Amino acid sequence: MTGLRRRTLLRSAALGAAAATAGCAYIPSDQQVHATLKRSAKAKVDGDLVYFNWADYLDPSVLKGFEKEYGVKIIQSNFDSMEGMYAKLQAGNQYDIVFPIAKWVVKLRQEGRLRAIDHAQLSNADQVFYSGSYFNDPWYDRGSRASVPFTVYKTGIAWRTDRVSAMTGSWRDLWNTEATKHIFTLDDQDEALAMGALLLGYNVNTAKPKELDAITKLLISQKKYLRAYSSDDVNDMARGDAWIHHMWSGDFMYLRTDIAKYQKLYDFEAPKEGVPINSDAYCIPADAPHPGTAMLFIDWLLRPENAIKNIDYLCYPFPVKDAVAHFEELAKDVPACNVDVTDLENPNVFRLLSTDAVHRRTAAWTDIKAS
Amino acid sequence: MDSPHLTATLEREARPVRRPVRRTRLWDLLLALPAAWIVVFFVSSMVIVVLLSFGRTQQDGQPVFGHRLTNYDALWDEVYLRLFLRSLTYAVATTLVCALIAYPVAYVIALYGGRFKNLLVAAIVVPFFASYLIRMYAWSAMLGDDGVVNSVIRKAHLGGGVSFLNTPYAVVGGLVYGYVVYMILPVYAALERMDRSLVEAGKDLYHSPLRTFWSVTLPATRAGLFGGMLLVFLPALGDFVSAQLLGGPDTYMIGNLIQQQFLEGQNWPLGSAMTVAMMIGLTVLMVGYLRATTTRRREA
Repeated sequence: MTGLRRRTLLRSAALGAAAATAGCAYIPSDQQVHATLKRSAKAKVDGDLVYFNWADYLDPSVLKGFEKEYGVKIIQSNFDSMEGMYAKLQAGNQYDIVFPIAKWVVKLRQEGRLRAIDHAQLSNADQVFYSGSYFNDPWYDRGSRASVPFTVYKTGIAWRTDRVSAMTGSWRDLWNTEATKHIFTLDDQDEALAMGALLLGYNVNTAKPKELDAITKLLISQKKYLRAYSSDDVNDMARGDAWIHHMWSGDFMYLRTDIAKYQKLYDFEAPKEGVPINSDAYCIPADAPHPGTAMLFIDWLLRPENAIKNIDYLCYPFPVKDAVAHFEELAKDVPACNVDVTDLENPNVFRLLSTDAVHRRTAAWTDIKAS
Repeated sequence: MDSPHLTATLEREARPVRRPVRRTRLWDLLLALPAAWIVVFFVSSMVIVVLLSFGRTQQDGQPVFGHRLTNYDALWDEVYLRLFLRSLTYAVATTLVCALIAYPVAYVIALYGGRFKNLLVAAIVVPFFASYLIRMYAWSAMLGDDGVVNSVIRKAHLGGGVSFLNTPYAVVGGLVYGYVVYMILPVYAALERMDRSLVEAGKDLYHSPLRTFWSVTLPATRAGLFGGMLLVFLPALGDFVSAQLLGGPDTYMIGNLIQQQFLEGQNWPLGSAMTVAMMIGLTVLMVGYLRATTTRRREA
């Protein structure tokens, strides 16, 4: 059996639990929640750490190390989708640390669900908040007041070098006739629509009806080349079903370093029309019972030696200054997998959209998949 | 052509033997807990789904109750109808294949299992303790283009391999594998309960084993078979895992559609309306099915 990541497994099973817990979390009126940012906690042990993350999304030895160093326990629970994580928070479940994708940081902060993180409390803060760092003022959190950057990643195209001879460096490669019925597009509304948008020269977050129609038409034209829509990119490639796969850079690095028998069989490109670049962050919920321990934990994760362990485990780049070189070394044969600081300042990040916009995008995605 | 006497015996046999149940306070207490469980977690969530189907989503993404029909209006879309018909086709195919597999398996175990009967039933049930999802992943690992099955095919020089996954057949196969046990058990129970002397009487009457099976065994176990078909058909129609893990670009099912509304789509009211519409549709189908099967039974 090939390397099955629990994140992918859970992601594909999502639903049930998430929807069920969210049932209780329900605001009965149009009241606007005022965004206040609760004062930052001091970095000192104030109890065991209640941890809420994707499954297998940090090196277990780093977690064990923290328990030993500070004499606390880490109580772990996992979410299987951002919607599931949000629903649990909304239902009043209390966690000390969560790991949202950038656009969900915006939502959580807007709704006053986050606690400030005082950089002066973190002895390793200069690893991410050094002079000139993009993360001093990222788009999703003014002044990084309520979040600390975790991983960064891009979405591109992976392919089997023994099966496909000609790749053009464009998203059009997902229509490559050499790989008919062996091409996969990510089963992810944002990623799939973004791919179409980039090919047509639109913004990745577009919700304009005309542009969505054009994207729908374009993606339907791709179906005759497709084997399936799937987010299980690592296994689709490892099983040999996929010769060309719309893929996340970190998953590709994982496939190549940890799964592949012959690394040279797999390559990755970041198409010239532009690629979605996204990032995850560490956040402390406003009602965290032990925010002090959470501050210490974030500081622990920013230690370069721990970031390096996590990079080796996850294969995603971390923007931790003294660990950057380590990822570059890991990705030296496939530099397209690396995410440069300059990459971060681009318009192709997934933004928090209005409900109407999300509904229009979902309708387009449904039309594509159901056609 | 049925002998009236024999049919009467069958009818009597098919009815379960009623044991007198002594109602005690303990018995009521024992029932209270599951009843409360059902009310709290099943009925109430169903009520929320129904109420939400008349609601809407606020601009900040929160679903709220309401009293509008827009979500139901939105269902009159040719795309949704197509998905429903596709799911129906898959579910019917799954039910038929399950019946073809389950009946012989149950028959062999019940009639020829001897002292290994319980062991054989356990052998069928135990794998189903593992999560459906994990088993689906196992299949996809085995049936992949470079998977175990294909490498055997290549080594045996039987061809260049077969793309099993990501086809409608794979989806139906996944559904069959996932739900066949729900058919085997009721059919097995019905065969177990059947009076063997009926078969002997049937053999005397009809001579051929096939006719005996057709006129005696099958009618006697019809309740189990129909029950099993229902138990397979319902979850198969609403399933989303098989299509997601084993399906291709053209196997999207109604379950996937509803899942999408609740997660990426952030449109719980629409998802709820779809759920309610599907429940109504299924109820109509079920009532029709039950009436048809019971009438036929009465006529028999």
